[in-house]
Amino acid sequence: MAVFKTFLKIVNRNKFIIILYTVILITFAGFNMQTNDTSTSFVASKPDILIINKDENTGITNNLIKYIQNNSNIIDIEQSEEAINDALFYRDVNYIIYIPENYRQDFMNDLNPKIEIKSTGDYQASLAEMMLSRYIKVANTYKKDLNNEEDLIKRINETLEKEAKIEVTSKLDSDSLSRATFYYNFLNYSIIAGLVYIICLILSSFREEKIRKRTIISSMNYKKFNRQLLISNGILAIILWIFYVILSFILIGDIMFTKHGLILIANSFAFSICSLTIAFLIGNLINNKNAINGIINVIGLGSSFLCGAFVPVEWLPDSILKIAHILPSYWYIQSNEIIKTIEVVNIETLKPIFINISVIILFSVGYIILTNIITKNKRKIA
Amino acid sequence: MIIDVKNLTKKYKELTAINDLSFNVKEGEILGLLGPNGSGKSTTINCILSLLKYNKGSIKIFGKEIKPDSYDIKAKIGVVFQDVAVFEELTVYENIDYFCGLYIKDKNTKKKYVEDAIELVGLGEFKKFRPKQLSGGLLRRLNIACGIAHKPKLIFLDEPTVAVDPQSRNNILDGIKKLRDNGATIVYTTHYMEEVEILCDRIIILDKGKILAEGTSDELKKKAKIEERITVEINNLEEKYIKEIKKKENVDDVKYDANILFVTYKKGKNNLLELMDYLKSENINFNKIYSERPTLNDVFLELTGKELRD
Repeated sequence: MAVFKTFLKIVNRNKFIIILYTVILITFAGFNMQTNDTSTSFVASKPDILIINKDENTGITNNLIKYIQNNSNIIDIEQSEEAINDALFYRDVNYIIYIPENYRQDFMNDLNPKIEIKSTGDYQASLAEMMLSRYIKVANTYKKDLNNEEDLIKRINETLEKEAKIEVTSKLDSDSLSRATFYYNFLNYSIIAGLVYIICLILSSFREEKIRKRTIISSMNYKKFNRQLLISNGILAIILWIFYVILSFILIGDIMFTKHGLILIANSFAFSICSLTIAFLIGNLINNKNAINGIINVIGLGSSFLCGAFVPVEWLPDSILKIAHILPSYWYIQSNEIIKTIEVVNIETLKPIFINISVIILFSVGYIILTNIITKNKRKIA
Repeated sequence: MIIDVKNLTKKYKELTAINDLSFNVKEGEILGLLGPNGSGKSTTINCILSLLKYNKGSIKIFGKEIKPDSYDIKAKIGVVFQDVAVFEELTVYENIDYFCGLYIKDKNTKKKYVEDAIELVGLGEFKKFRPKQLSGGLLRRLNIACGIAHKPKLIFLDEPTVAVDPQSRNNILDGIKKLRDNGATIVYTTHYMEEVEILCDRIIILDKGKILAEGTSDELKKKAKIEERITVEINNLEEKYIKEIKKKENVDDVKYDANILFVTYKKGKNNLLELMDYLKSENINFNKIYSERPTLNDVFLELTGKELRD
């Protein structure tokens, strides 16, 4: 009990840093969770198009221009080649449509007139291209049966006005789940930084050579002492984890009571245990308390950035993600990302999460073995 | 016999830190291990405490060979290391309470022992202070309290007064005497000869891992070839007078440096009076004059040809 009581006293003396990391977590998570996730709502996007019409603005030509106008932002710039190329380069316009002379006449006479285009090649340009080819395809289809221009225009417009209705059939509360995932992804930093800091600080006190010598010569069994220290650290890790879980219930709410929420919690528990083993390893490696802050920055911030705790995983380059595979944070965050997309929770859908958690456990075992090897060498007397 | 060390040898690769050391410590005595830095004092203690493996020899404490897992023996031992070993995060009281708690399980007994230790080292006013708030001397006292709070029967004090102010030093020495009076056996290492003279019942002089001499302070001083040293402050003493003094009966050596005359005598009584008479007869004015008996440093000088603090 002497070790545990002293452990708690040292934790108490360092409560400020725990509060600090918690405040950082709440601030960042809270701030980000305020922003709406747009992954399940759709807003029509309009490309910027320039139309250079060399035909008369009548009949089918006029109808084409109107259709383009209704579905895009028509850009008005100087119609010189240099100005057009500049506009494309600076993305002032995504797509340029050149309607040739006698287009209407040639189209009605089935001469298949050619419309030339210039494009920035981006997704907005693709959208413009889709719009133009849709119009031409519809027009060509009806032209085979209709020779009256007025009827043709009427049929084209009727067809093009039909809009597809998109309905999201998912029963997932994606907004809440996204917020929960964000919170638990960010927890990667809070758990690693918090645990590594506190445990390293405490271990560096207990393992300081002079104090260690005093402990070795005491009548307390050194194995018992180590066991008490390990249990104390474990209890601290669990208390910290429970605190963060309770916080997630407060900040995110109902979604945490669902199966998805419970899986997020289970995943974070496995990660907390792994972080504890990391902290124990580092705590046994370092002898200098001043080095702890630097180590936290490298491990906490480094793993969080590399593995996608702060930025969405899909934004990270493949090369970075490949490197991130060697960190337990990657597997933890991957599981969170998978949980976000699981529609139905069953053994099959949970399989990749089980695999990721197993990898995290393997990491933990590895760190424990490494710590044992290091402490065994350190324990050896000269 | 509380400690029995026989033929102890400890080597660090080519360097022999302790060379065939044999000595014992009797119950209730304060044994002083005196020697310059690097003489093997701390290494000897570390071997006795099984903090270091040794190459040869045997060590018995309370009649038993001590091993890293001899927790029954360890329970009777208290150690105060040369370096202050306390938790910076804990207060004076909490530090003593923790280290005492490594030995004493009973809450009430522990509380009493901690209070006793605080009283012994005179830290009553500083119970709630953190180590950073204490002066060097107070910190040393805390270090001692942490090592002896569990009331051990055998105490090792490894240079506990290094870099300590005179007030704290006196306090520490008084505390050690109290521990002895309470029945503890003490092994005290230092390179301050004044301390061993005041404290120790028996002294072992170590150098290069070997015992050079062993005995009480008086016994050791008899090993010195000089019996008296007289120091005189004289301005501009001429060489001819120094030569004259050298020729006097019983004079071992004469040195004159920075207007101070040192005269050492092999033996004899009234050396001081005779020297004063001579100086007066030659009309030599002097300021201060005093006589000293040989110190342990003289013994060490005699045995090794170097000073203890070299």
